[in-house]
Amino acid sequence: MLFIKPIVDFSIVQKSTKNSLLLIVSLFLSWQSLASNMEISEEGDWGDDTWVEEVASPWTFSGFTEAGYGYLLQHNIVDSHTSLNEITTRLNLDYSHESFDLIAKGELIYDDILSDLFWKTRELNIRFSPTKNTDVKMGRQILTWGTGDYIFLNDLFAKNWQSFFSGRDDQYLKAPSDSIKGTWYMGDYSISLTWTPEFTSDVYLTGERFSFYSPKAQDIVAPADNFIVQKTKEAQWAARIATNKNGVEYAFYGYKGFWPTSVGMTKTKNQPLQSYFPKMNAWGTSVRLPLAGGLFNAEYASYNSTEDTNGNDPFIANGQNRFLVGFEREVMKNFTASAQFYIEQTKNYDQFIAHSATPETEVKENRQLLTFRLTYRAFQQKLIYRLFTFYSPTDIDGYLKPSITYRYNDQWIFSGGANLFWGDKKHTFFGQHQQNTNAWLRVKAQF
Amino acid sequence: MKYLLALFILTLSTLGFSTHASDIKNANEIITKANLASYYSADDGSAQARMIIVDAQGNKQMRQFTILRKDQADLGNQDMLVFFSRPTDVQGTVFRVVKKVESDDDRWLYLPALDLVKRISAGDKRTSFVGAHFFYEDVSGRDPAEDNFTLLKTDDKFYTLNAVPKDKSSVEFDHYIVKIDKHHFLPMQVDYYNNQGKKSRSMHVLKTRVIDGFTTVIHSKVTQHTDGSFTEMQFRNVKYNVGLPDSIFSERSLRNPPKEWLK
Repeated sequence: MLFIKPIVDFSIVQKSTKNSLLLIVSLFLSWQSLASNMEISEEGDWGDDTWVEEVASPWTFSGFTEAGYGYLLQHNIVDSHTSLNEITTRLNLDYSHESFDLIAKGELIYDDILSDLFWKTRELNIRFSPTKNTDVKMGRQILTWGTGDYIFLNDLFAKNWQSFFSGRDDQYLKAPSDSIKGTWYMGDYSISLTWTPEFTSDVYLTGERFSFYSPKAQDIVAPADNFIVQKTKEAQWAARIATNKNGVEYAFYGYKGFWPTSVGMTKTKNQPLQSYFPKMNAWGTSVRLPLAGGLFNAEYASYNSTEDTNGNDPFIANGQNRFLVGFEREVMKNFTASAQFYIEQTKNYDQFIAHSATPETEVKENRQLLTFRLTYRAFQQKLIYRLFTFYSPTDIDGYLKPSITYRYNDQWIFSGGANLFWGDKKHTFFGQHQQNTNAWLRVKAQF
Repeated sequence: MKYLLALFILTLSTLGFSTHASDIKNANEIITKANLASYYSADDGSAQARMIIVDAQGNKQMRQFTILRKDQADLGNQDMLVFFSRPTDVQGTVFRVVKKVESDDDRWLYLPALDLVKRISAGDKRTSFVGAHFFYEDVSGRDPAEDNFTLLKTDDKFYTLNAVPKDKSSVEFDHYIVKIDKHHFLPMQVDYYNNQGKKSRSMHVLKTRVIDGFTTVIHSKVTQHTDGSFTEMQFRNVKYNVGLPDSIFSERSLRNPPKEWLK
């Protein structure tokens, strides 16, 4: 099971969708009455002209319950035609001390696709400053850096692609890792170093929810439980030096670890081929600045596939050069548009093709990608329309992510959207996901 | 009508304070004093704020946050940090602004769920601040150099000025009329008019208090006249000249809020 590692494994509660729907409805009804009570008490506070002194407790508790449902819109070889069918209760508990912070975030999830109820720890960390100019964060945490929008170059921290494809909230695109992050501040400069003692890979597609192209089978596959990947327990390191000079942000990055997805095949004698995470080192740089009333960003990363430096090994991915430029600005009031252009250049391309068993379906030497994001906010930002599109002129495929979010009040948030993939060929990056095209709905109650 | 009556009573009750001899005749001088009084009180400051946002149907939303501000120079650049504590989905979100007089402001938003420092493009100053009827520009201050001011009226209590934007395409209004208190120079009422001459949006100061010698707005309201929706904003725990160090106005404070200054 790659998707989730249950820490506390509860027994399966209910298998049928009908029952889980009933559970959702009853939970929400009981929540609604609680939420409306809260609203009235807040109104009372506001009615008084003075502030009601809040009890200064070091503890903060919050959370939400969210139900999500998604459906595959095309015929797919995966077992379940629901791409999302779950109810999640998130609990956040923070403790703030003068010299440290404790952060605990976890979720109780009933996932009907897995027919399983389980607990998942999202964050569990301590943050403190051992010296005046140093911050340390230790434990399970979300790590992010880099300038790309849904495109990652120097951010090699774990992503959850299953969440991204199934329409879960954006925050779930970032998967947590058990790491230590230290940051040193010196004037305008900061140096961050992250150490993840046990390599944390992306949450990639396994065929459980979404099918994908297998170069070995030369077809779309959905192996699900049969998708075996060899894990590694070695450490990964990432570093960043960042500075801001007159509003222009510069950063330099380094990485030592593994490819975040299993882009290698083991060649152990007398054993079937198995996917694994080959070693990879990377370095890169980025810049972000205001320009022409908007924001401009550029980023570069060099991926060195150290187990296949000359690119001769067809079982291990070649290194890459990744280039990104982007621009964002508000084109009209409440309407923001952004565009990015991205090139993924495969290093030692001639050797790569010469040693490939299937050169005709291999990626182009310079894979190009264009993205556009449109965001329109209406009704005091309560209604937000979003459209994100990926389009590859070299692969001739694409991915559209439209969504609408309606914030009814501070308690209730409704959203709906789709993940639409297209492409002529089943081996290209987005083309392989055409049958994974899905639509989804989510209802969230915050407390 | 009710509002007019209230204003009338207010005007009557303050008749006694008039000092005609010292009236300022120059509109720009008044605006400069108003800008200082509104956004540059003391060298730095901190305050807790909350907003109640009420839509046309009467649905309410709340926002609660703490603001830290430091002036690099009076009427000059400013650093600002806004730490959100409510509602729960924005808890831990931090907004950072470097307000620049000569160029576009630098703005960042830290989203804790993604550990993401998102930079915000400068163009959209006149969009809603976190869903409220207050704009980003209402919170950080509109640059007086963007408007041409004329003094319409001086009475016992207020200077009333008309402001016409130099670049009308950059704003959603045609002009606005601002009433500035003659005593402490805070703009007490601002009415924005559309190009049909209709009042579209208003800001009212509902309550002020003198804190450390600075008259401070502690309760204000912005009303959208097209649908009657509004936002009220209240401040508490306002402090001036607290000695905020320059170093806290940096990316570090987004991920690790400077607790000792947020009490």
